[in-house]
Amino acid sequence: MLLRMFLTQTKMNFVWYFQRDGEMIFWTLAMPVFFLVLFSFAFSTGPNSRASSFLVPGIIGAQVLSSGFWGVGVMLATFREKHLLRRVYLTPMPPWVFFAALVVYRVALLAAQATILVAVGALVFHVRIVGNPFEIGAILLLGTATFVSLGTIIGALARTTESANNIASVLSVPLAFLSDAYVPIDRFPHAVSSTLRLLPSTQFIETFRDVSVYGHPLAQYGAWIVVLVLWTLAGTVISARTFRWV
Amino acid sequence: MSADDAIVVERLVKRFGELTAVDALSFAVARGTIFGLLGRNGAGKTTTLECCIGLGKPTSGGVRVLGLDPTRPRELTRLRPRIGVQLQATSLPEKANAREVLELYAAYYGTAPRADEMAARVGLGDKLDRQIAQMSGGEQQRLALALALQHDPEVLFLDEPTAGMDAFGRRILWSEVERLRLAGKTIVLTTHYIEEAERLCDRICIIQRGAIVADGTPADLVARFGGDASVTIAADGFMPGADLQELGTWTKTGAQWKLATRGAPGLALATVVTNANGMNASIASLDMHRPTLEDAFIAITGETIGGTD
Repeated sequence: MLLRMFLTQTKMNFVWYFQRDGEMIFWTLAMPVFFLVLFSFAFSTGPNSRASSFLVPGIIGAQVLSSGFWGVGVMLATFREKHLLRRVYLTPMPPWVFFAALVVYRVALLAAQATILVAVGALVFHVRIVGNPFEIGAILLLGTATFVSLGTIIGALARTTESANNIASVLSVPLAFLSDAYVPIDRFPHAVSSTLRLLPSTQFIETFRDVSVYGHPLAQYGAWIVVLVLWTLAGTVISARTFRWV
Repeated sequence: MSADDAIVVERLVKRFGELTAVDALSFAVARGTIFGLLGRNGAGKTTTLECCIGLGKPTSGGVRVLGLDPTRPRELTRLRPRIGVQLQATSLPEKANAREVLELYAAYYGTAPRADEMAARVGLGDKLDRQIAQMSGGEQQRLALALALQHDPEVLFLDEPTAGMDAFGRRILWSEVERLRLAGKTIVLTTHYIEEAERLCDRICIIQRGAIVADGTPADLVARFGGDASVTIAADGFMPGADLQELGTWTKTGAQWKLATRGAPGLALATVVTNANGMNASIASLDMHRPTLEDAFIAITGETIGGTD
């Protein structure tokens, strides 16, 4: 019965919020590829696998951030404001099933985004993913968990869709540019870049990049992994304590 | 309070900051009863209903539905599958269609999807594949009713179920309520439509400023508070004679005589007409008014129900 709730809800999430929303399809599937192409040429004079190798994992990482902030956090605030959460709250579906269905739907979208970016990167810019697939999967899952749990705090604390949107914008736009996603932070003075490496977004994106395209072993990043796990736990605890269904 | 009560509300108080929305309200609803909370907008009807279904936490006092306390999470979990709710303030995802929503709610309740049957019951048989955004407010309300009914709950909570519905929607809702009455379901509905309360409810509580000011069957409330029935006649040469004085109190306004009577107005009317004919008076106009629930409502609350919606 729980499985049926979960599967039906996940399917409906996909149909309602993706398949029937042209804008959503464009933003999630076309925009990241557009960024990859644009920045690949901006950073070099021609197809250059060095810039693109930097960008493919960077853009995927930025998508992980926005899945958590927008796809989960702002979405939950919208659901609450539209009185959808209180209607669901009256049914026997446990809240965590609703939440899990939303997260799984976003993870499926992320997988599609990552696949397209990797494919375009490989075919157009000769980007090679050389890392251990299990380690790549592990760091991606951990990053997703971190930013979903932090994003849920937005959904818990924001009273309206508008304020959730504002919080998500204030966080995710600078993070995308200061976390080594689009722009190498090593171009900044050392003091700046090492400060930026305290951000969980930077730690996640750099670990993911180093493991996937540079083939570094995940074990080298033990400290950062521990920190990301702590962020995830903190985000989960704060979300669970502050989230209101009605 | 008895074991046959589906719902018991005892000294329920709900405050929002300074505002006391519900003020020490008590009532019990026997199983199989259609129970109406009638009052103006803002009287506390919705807040009371929300406390019954676990959407609001009472400031004090208690609520039991089917013997379960909706403020306790475990008991609320056991209660949810047994109740159906149609709320005023709900929205469904804009890009969903009715068939999908019914399918999803069937999954929530672990019942077989009955999208076609439910849609036909609420008059949406030809609109199953239409997206919510393309449905009128009344159609969305009917879909919300179908969602409340699909899992065949024991107790139904309907909050202003016909607000924003057209005449067609209203007829559908009313016939559904009749069907549910025959099936022995318990229904709590809030409304500010007096006609709806009178027509549907076995029992009515009139709520004013968060408190119950009268409680009874519609007929009982009318008999107790509705006042006298009246017969009005305008006829040339008519004068209420001694035998007509016995019927009640006569007053004259312009050319019009008005009889206020405690007795059966039909009988009084017949007597008045016979007498007028005996006087060879030519009747220009003749009217009879039975007290209605609206008269009772005005007498009880000192105000009209106001607002058409």
